[in-house]
Amino acid sequence: MTHTRTKNVLTVLIVLAALVVLPYLLTEVQLNMAIEIAFFSLFAVSYNLLLGYGGVLSFGHAAYFGTGAYFMVFALKYVAGMPILPAVLVSGVAAGLTAAIVGFFCVRLGGSYFALLTLAFNQLIYAIALKWRSLTGGDDGIGLDKHDMYLPFVGNLDTMSTFTVYYLTVIIVLISLWLIRFFLKTPYGNTVACVKDNEERAAFIGYNVFRSKLVLFTMAGFFAGIAGALFAFFEEFVSLDSINMAMSTEVLFMAFIGGTGSFLGPVLGAAVFIYFTEWVSDITEHWEFFLGVLFVLLILYANRGIIGLIPEKIKNFWSPRSASAGER
Amino acid sequence: MEAYAVQAVHGVVYGMLLFLVTSGLTLVFGMMGVLNMAHAAFYMVGAYFTYSLVQWTGSFWLCLLLAPIGVGIIGAFVERALLRKVHTFGHAHELMLTFGIFYILAEVVKWIWGTYPLTVVAPDVLNGSVPFLSATYPTYRLFILLVSVIVLFILAFIMQKTRIGIIVRAAVFDNEMVDILGVNVQLVFLGVFSIGSALAGLAGVVAAPFLSTYPGMGLEILVDAFVVIVIGGFGSVWGALLAALMIGELQSFGIMLIPELALVFQFLLMAIVLVWRPQGLFGESA
Repeated sequence: MTHTRTKNVLTVLIVLAALVVLPYLLTEVQLNMAIEIAFFSLFAVSYNLLLGYGGVLSFGHAAYFGTGAYFMVFALKYVAGMPILPAVLVSGVAAGLTAAIVGFFCVRLGGSYFALLTLAFNQLIYAIALKWRSLTGGDDGIGLDKHDMYLPFVGNLDTMSTFTVYYLTVIIVLISLWLIRFFLKTPYGNTVACVKDNEERAAFIGYNVFRSKLVLFTMAGFFAGIAGALFAFFEEFVSLDSINMAMSTEVLFMAFIGGTGSFLGPVLGAAVFIYFTEWVSDITEHWEFFLGVLFVLLILYANRGIIGLIPEKIKNFWSPRSASAGER
Repeated sequence: MEAYAVQAVHGVVYGMLLFLVTSGLTLVFGMMGVLNMAHAAFYMVGAYFTYSLVQWTGSFWLCLLLAPIGVGIIGAFVERALLRKVHTFGHAHELMLTFGIFYILAEVVKWIWGTYPLTVVAPDVLNGSVPFLSATYPTYRLFILLVSVIVLFILAFIMQKTRIGIIVRAAVFDNEMVDILGVNVQLVFLGVFSIGSALAGLAGVVAAPFLSTYPGMGLEILVDAFVVIVIGGFGSVWGALLAALMIGELQSFGIMLIPELALVFQFLLMAIVLVWRPQGLFGESA
């Protein structure tokens, strides 16, 4: 076992221990914020698969977050006795399929085209959610029927307790983040970075650029859907807010403010964003204006996000290799 | 039958308004390669300027001149002070920056004018209606049509017949070469961006009494404008004109015949065009 490896394992263990004891240290309000940070972290990391690793700017990522959230509600409502974990998976798959269809149209075209197409498709999916009232409840939204959760060896868990929701959310988010990181380190995951750096060369070498981008887009959609399902489970309610343009904007802000150049940057971004929405909004009702100004300032002066402002020495302690995204 | 004729004219009117918004967007894109998302915010600011100017001066006609100038100045500032700085970072950053500006301006508008829809009253001359077939048609809608057509002709004249137009077209084609030939390309960029912004402002002025002036109006027109650009083809003015008219008619008849699905039609049309001709109807294949 090398020195860095020991250090990494230790760091992971400390973080895990902290996450386990956290609920006992926080107030109810702070615990709710922690849960929000957890699922928004996953949402932002899934978005960064596109922005940081794929090098494409999407203005429509809420489409998959929202699809996941709505399907979580549908799964628990229309399938009698649907267990919670499979429901989360179903939501992710539904969002992933939606992303695959939209991606088929979008990923062929790069740059500005991609940006405006993702925006247009987000509006289309939003329009469907708005108009299909009998299914989605339209403007009114739709409530989520919560029931107890059965886990083998553990027994029935009370899903109304914030503790249960916290542990469930954090565990699913951690597994998802681990899966994403694992994928990026596989040979196929590496082709993604290769395509981003030089699409023509990647195609010339023999990679199927279209398929590689479509896989990335679908995966980003799948994990956004999982995050959406957790969001629905936490809120116990889904409305058009989960699928509108504002949500697509928020995830862009989270990822970019945190830093698109590293795997965990968006996690930091999600935390900063939740801080803004919860606390800065108490100080001024124009917090969105200041959020926008922060975003523009970072674009102008620190395009690697807040994580880019942390001195290299501290960062090198943990991450031996990070994606060199967002600077092209 | 007559209802159809009225609806068709409605479609042309909205289509031409959409063209007015998109023309500035395609002009800037063709020239600088920047998809300016702040364009929709400029359009909205134009409408809000109109509201305040009408309150202060009582003259809507003055707004047609002053609001576009005001928006043009904002545009010039954005290009000179912000956009130029991130040019070297690449397209994604330029896009994000213009989006950030869109977001900030939308918040500023809420801050200054509040979130409730505001009503701008058009001058009496335009408030009436004119005889049309066996009924009447609102004069204001015809006024929108008139303004859009005048702008279209002025733009076409400048681009095709004047020296400035030649420089702009040349810079679209190859801006480095134009730079070498002694033209101050930076200045041309600044000018084109300001004029593009002013056009968005003008669209905002004429839209103010027609559509309601509210903080979501920017995003609403942005999506329609994007669909127009995708269908018409990037940077093509004639493509934008045709696509804008198609979307206008589609929305107009969609709302009349199948209101539930009206919102979805334009996206379906967009998807069909994308499969059939990914570069858009008039776009050049990449």
